[in-house]
Amino acid sequence: MAKKFNRKIGKEGEEIAAKFLLGKGYKILERNYYTKFGEIDLIASKNNVLTFIEVKLKHGDDFGIPEEMIGYSKLSQVQRMAEFYLMDKPKMAAIYKAYSIDAVCIMVGEDGEVERISHYENLTF
Amino acid sequence: MLTKVLSAAHFGLEATPIEVEVNVFKKGFPGFSIIGLPNKSIEEAKERVKTALINSGIDFPNLKIIVNLAPADIPKEGSLYDLPIAIGILASMELVKIPEEKSFFYGELSLDGGLRHTKGVFLLALAAKSLGIKNLFVPKDSANEASVIGGINAYPVSSLSELIGFLNGVSEIKKLSHTVHGSLSTGYEAVEFDFSEIIGQESAKRAMTIAAAGGHNIFMQGPPGAGKTMLARATAGILPPLNEEESLEVTKIYSLTGNIPPGEGLITQRPFRTAHHTTSRIGLIGGGSDPHPGEISLSHNGVLFLDEFPEFPRSTLEALRQPLEDGKVSITRIAGSVTFPASFMLIAASNPCPCGYLGDPKKECKCTPRMIMKYQAKLSGPLMDRIDLHINVPAVDIEKLIASPTSSKTSRGAVANSRQIREQVINARKIQNKRFKGLKIYTNASMKNKHIGKFCDIDKGSLLLLKQAVNTYNLSARTYFRLIKVSQTIADLSPERSRRILPNHVAEALQYRIRTNS
Repeated sequence: MAKKFNRKIGKEGEEIAAKFLLGKGYKILERNYYTKFGEIDLIASKNNVLTFIEVKLKHGDDFGIPEEMIGYSKLSQVQRMAEFYLMDKPKMAAIYKAYSIDAVCIMVGEDGEVERISHYENLTF
Repeated sequence: MLTKVLSAAHFGLEATPIEVEVNVFKKGFPGFSIIGLPNKSIEEAKERVKTALINSGIDFPNLKIIVNLAPADIPKEGSLYDLPIAIGILASMELVKIPEEKSFFYGELSLDGGLRHTKGVFLLALAAKSLGIKNLFVPKDSANEASVIGGINAYPVSSLSELIGFLNGVSEIKKLSHTVHGSLSTGYEAVEFDFSEIIGQESAKRAMTIAAAGGHNIFMQGPPGAGKTMLARATAGILPPLNEEESLEVTKIYSLTGNIPPGEGLITQRPFRTAHHTTSRIGLIGGGSDPHPGEISLSHNGVLFLDEFPEFPRSTLEALRQPLEDGKVSITRIAGSVTFPASFMLIAASNPCPCGYLGDPKKECKCTPRMIMKYQAKLSGPLMDRIDLHINVPAVDIEKLIASPTSSKTSRGAVANSRQIREQVINARKIQNKRFKGLKIYTNASMKNKHIGKFCDIDKGSLLLLKQAVNTYNLSARTYFRLIKVSQTIADLSPERSRRILPNHVAEALQYRIRTNS
């Protein structure tokens, strides 16, 4: 039950993030790319940089802000998945020489309206 | 915006200034990191600072925060960086103004935004004085340690919100006035045992008085139940109060180890420490990768009582040799070398053999010669050579024990109590303090050989007696000088005002030196 609900929220977040990034001039290459380590929410590109994007969406701030949910372990997981993706798609690796890991954090209010979208580029811990 | 707040790190008994640089970024992924070789207790400062700020009514910023403790190559430990980090974050957010005059911020935060008692404030105040930094913001419970040092402003801070108000000029924190050593109470405090409660053992009491008066090491041997431990514990009650310089030295060590109770300033009571024989070598001598003082330094200028002396591991006992001679201990580790003062008076107690009754007139000793040898071999010659007074504490006669409660009314005047003995000891110490004024020596026992020639006035008869004793008993050069020191203390205790060492003083000193039974 809960799992289904999570997936619904994830889907919602990815939709909002993809629209937002398209508006910023990104080209969306993949959505929900599966690896054995997990799932990359979005893979996009802009200015010849391949970007792996983690999307977080939160309804209300009762349990903290979305940024708090992205820590060292989450980022290293995304990094591992990114390496896996590049191995899996040597063509992509040949085209793009620069990569970055980004996060898009979305806050949704009680009424379902998007309150805030923050895009953090090139994360490192 | 980048802000810099001044704090301090401790290494040994020295405090070094540390600059806490805080940057709150306008851009970037939110996070909070501390760099500059912090240890675990500083890593945890993140959670304390964050919660304390929120509970002080401040919105913790969801921004990227980096804290750097500079210079970055000194390892730092302790909870004292909580306050400077919090003030740095507030200043970066432009919520407070850091005073233009250089100021130290120092202290551990509680989750509710209050400040907790933090060790090392006294050392911080000393560093502030030598560096010419005027203002100190320290926890209220620890601020009295800083008020002992004159010429600086110690602000007692009880909570973060109070300090924010003060820095913004909204509210007032009254700086503490300078506490002078003389104003502190140095009166007599009763201890567990009084000398008048100990029945018999007159010669042992006399030896204890001499030891306390001159700071001499003393070794007691006797059967179980004779009163050795009681004698040692009662000695705590005849120790003189610390003079000002001694008090500052002791307070330094106690501040570093966090042994000063909240709200207290200077330590005025002479330390009396006991160590169980399972105490580790590092616990006794001091050490650790970040060198910390051990029991011998905690009993600096006071007494260290080691009961069941031969039960201590051999390596622990032998490690006492150098500090007993030098009055200080140097500990060298990878992190560096630290010297802690360790000028203490050793009281050691032991049984004569494993069963305890060797040489007892009534009870037979059941030990084999081999067992006795093994037991006594624990106490090496070089170690025992450093102990000035060796006394036997024989079992008390049953007649005396029975007689004492009934006759106590009539004989009470004859038995000196701790308060009276303490007066004698204080007088003898006053003479010594005058003698060694300005030399950083406080007792006869810590005289060096060069001082003996300068300060001790020995008459011809005494010299002759000493010479005979050295020849007859084959005494070492060290013993010779220690004999003179003890004789000097006996002379200081005597009612004659000349302070000259006379043959009867030397004779008494010799009597404590020559061990006959073993």
